[in-house]
Amino acid sequence: MGKPLVKRTLSIFIAIVLALSVAACTKKAEQPAAPEKSEKSEASKEPEKPASIKLMVDGTFITKEAGQDQFVAEYKKMTGVDLIINQPAHNQYYEKVNLAFASQDIPDVLIISGTTMVNYAINGALYDMTDLVDKSPIMQKVGQKYKDAVKINGRLYAFPTQAGNGPITYMRKDWLEKNNLKVPTTYAEYLEVLKVFANDPDQNGKQDTIAFTAPGLVSDDPTTLQNYMVDFYQDASPDFIKKDGKWVDGMLEPEMKAALERMREAYSLGLIDKEIVTNKTSTCRDKFNAGKVGVFTYWAGTWNMNLENELKKAVRDASIVAIPAIKETKYLERVPATMAITSKAANPEGIFKYFFEFMHDGDKGTLLFSHGVEGVHYKVTDGKYEKLPSLQDPKKPANKAFIDNGLQIVPFNDPITPDPRITESLKVFNANSIVSTLLPVSENYTKNSADILTARKETISKIVLGQMTIEEGLAKYEKDTKAITDLILKDFNAAK
Amino acid sequence: MFAKTQRNNLTQGTAVVPKKKDLVRRIIQYKYFYLMFLPVFIFTIVFNYIPMAGIRFAFYKYNPFAPPKFIGWENFKTLLVNPKFIAAFKNTITLSIVNLVLGMLVSIIFALLLNELYNKYFKSFVQTVLYLPHFISWVVTASIFYLILSPTDGFINQILGFFGIEPIYFMIEEKWWTPIYYFINRWKETGWGTIIYLAALSGINPELYEAAVIDGAGRLKQTWYVTIPGIMSTILVVFILNLAKVMNIFESVFVLQNPMVLNVSEVIRTYNYKVGLLQSDYGYSTAVGLFNSVISMVLVIIADKASQKIKGSGIL
Repeated sequence: MGKPLVKRTLSIFIAIVLALSVAACTKKAEQPAAPEKSEKSEASKEPEKPASIKLMVDGTFITKEAGQDQFVAEYKKMTGVDLIINQPAHNQYYEKVNLAFASQDIPDVLIISGTTMVNYAINGALYDMTDLVDKSPIMQKVGQKYKDAVKINGRLYAFPTQAGNGPITYMRKDWLEKNNLKVPTTYAEYLEVLKVFANDPDQNGKQDTIAFTAPGLVSDDPTTLQNYMVDFYQDASPDFIKKDGKWVDGMLEPEMKAALERMREAYSLGLIDKEIVTNKTSTCRDKFNAGKVGVFTYWAGTWNMNLENELKKAVRDASIVAIPAIKETKYLERVPATMAITSKAANPEGIFKYFFEFMHDGDKGTLLFSHGVEGVHYKVTDGKYEKLPSLQDPKKPANKAFIDNGLQIVPFNDPITPDPRITESLKVFNANSIVSTLLPVSENYTKNSADILTARKETISKIVLGQMTIEEGLAKYEKDTKAITDLILKDFNAAK
Repeated sequence: MFAKTQRNNLTQGTAVVPKKKDLVRRIIQYKYFYLMFLPVFIFTIVFNYIPMAGIRFAFYKYNPFAPPKFIGWENFKTLLVNPKFIAAFKNTITLSIVNLVLGMLVSIIFALLLNELYNKYFKSFVQTVLYLPHFISWVVTASIFYLILSPTDGFINQILGFFGIEPIYFMIEEKWWTPIYYFINRWKETGWGTIIYLAALSGINPELYEAAVIDGAGRLKQTWYVTIPGIMSTILVVFILNLAKVMNIFESVFVLQNPMVLNVSEVIRTYNYKVGLLQSDYGYSTAVGLFNSVISMVLVIIADKASQKIKGSGIL
């Protein structure tokens, strides 16, 4: 009798616990998660200062190790507002954001970009700040192209934090000089340079160099899938593109066929890194830093300096040059990084004034968000600003606090002059790039974007590496994806 | 006392029906054991049973923005008609089962070989060398093998080049990827897998070997007739326990995957990661997880039943 009784008692107990937990979860889950449209205050009224702002940020924001606490204290001193920061691991950021919303643990402000922003905006999770931006004299100073790039159906649900930036083509300048080559201006000249770079450009008597490397043939960055291979893709894109006023699948356009031919030929000639399909960005950087690579399309700005500094450790006399885009193409500036106010935030007007406007004031706020705290990240001696050693690695100068050096989007007289390599590569990039735009709203796209990206990567990789002909590959891609891409294109073309 | 009474009753062929009073008496008698068990019990309920309530989301449409909406079997219908899911399911079963069988065979063989080593210092050294890869993360393991197998300057291709063989880009060819996957798993986990078998081997009565020697058995026959039967129970337990995990492979595949080998390397968890979690479709993700668990449970029950038939006992 004892044993069955124990079993029965345990079963009843577990059943009660389970039932209670289900009830509790149901109650919690069934609480209205639908966004609450916040009422906007009268424009004439001064918004109430928030006591604190809950912020969710990724690894691009100043970390604890780099002096986040000092940053928060300084922000409080300057604005009177407490910043409560939640900073998950960088590579898990969007998973954690999704979980925060699913569990109703919603921040006031968060970093959000690209497709995720569209998805959150159409689901009513973000506050529409268009009117606040329109009425703000400070925000009128922000470059219009950055605001336009992040609009959804003409409305702003998030605000750019800095210029989008994008990859620019870096070449080994010392190899160009050693082989009496000029910076190429056309694809034909570019190919000639690659041919020389594949054939003992350092004249050490060994065939140990890679002419061109990239982290895969298709990038993971939505709307700029071709950005690391832009010299080969040229006018083609493997993404959905707007052509003659209509959305189409770039994979099936004639330009794509020509791009695939270029990549396939260059790969077969040994001009593209043999391991391109399995390369990660870190692998490419390591190869470039080791002095093995001649051409590498990577981020403009700070990376110009970083790449050259690291390269010089392996090859003392090496130097690099960020080249203007070849005639056949333009660099792609990705959709700017943005921050948004959530629709659950209690005081969006106050947050907008004390966080967003402060960040872009073109003065002390922009300085704090760019370079951090005086005495911690930089010092001022006789009116001269100078970076202090990094708290994480005293051998290096302190890193940015949030906004990259040279990527501020408001007129800002930056007292800390960036390294000339940073400004020069950004100048070349800005003169040779176009800004990408967000894809229109489509639930079908949101649901199937991962499948489609996988199909594109698989198709392009197999064609370029010679496992399929161009015709076979594209026909298979069309057959596998047509049903869903048709639905997506229908949504896109119906969008305003 | 109670156990003694029960044993006596059993030997006399009478059924023991403990009384309610006995239970209370026993609880009082062993109150400290119950007290010690209490944290474990609470932990199990809080962290293993209560979260199971989330299973219901497999039947809901659930994303971060709206209250969950009941949709019945819709998520399961979606996944079972998806050809990519079916392909991922086949890959999961193939990679896991082959890996499991290979893992057991290789671990047992290594354990038997290690058991034959007499020099204890050399044995410890070999064991340590074998265990070490287990502690290397999968990301680092993948990087090591990408370097070794690199078509440009990888060690293996340099050897092949010495014999005049053209470099092979191993990681992008489907015919090479699968055996390489099995090999890397064995390299990483064989040492760890031998531990339990070595423990089982040390428990075999030495008199059995002496008797076998007297009967004229050589080394191989001793292994076949004494050692293997001696560790058979352990083999079955390890097999059944590992079978419960066959649907869970993720990290080892994910770090070695690339767009060229998706036909053979896309498994349920990597597919689910891409289309479920990254797209925050929690209902669909839960359905996939539940499907995985049910399959694992069925496999374990089948293996246990088979064990009962063959050996007369199972572990469940």
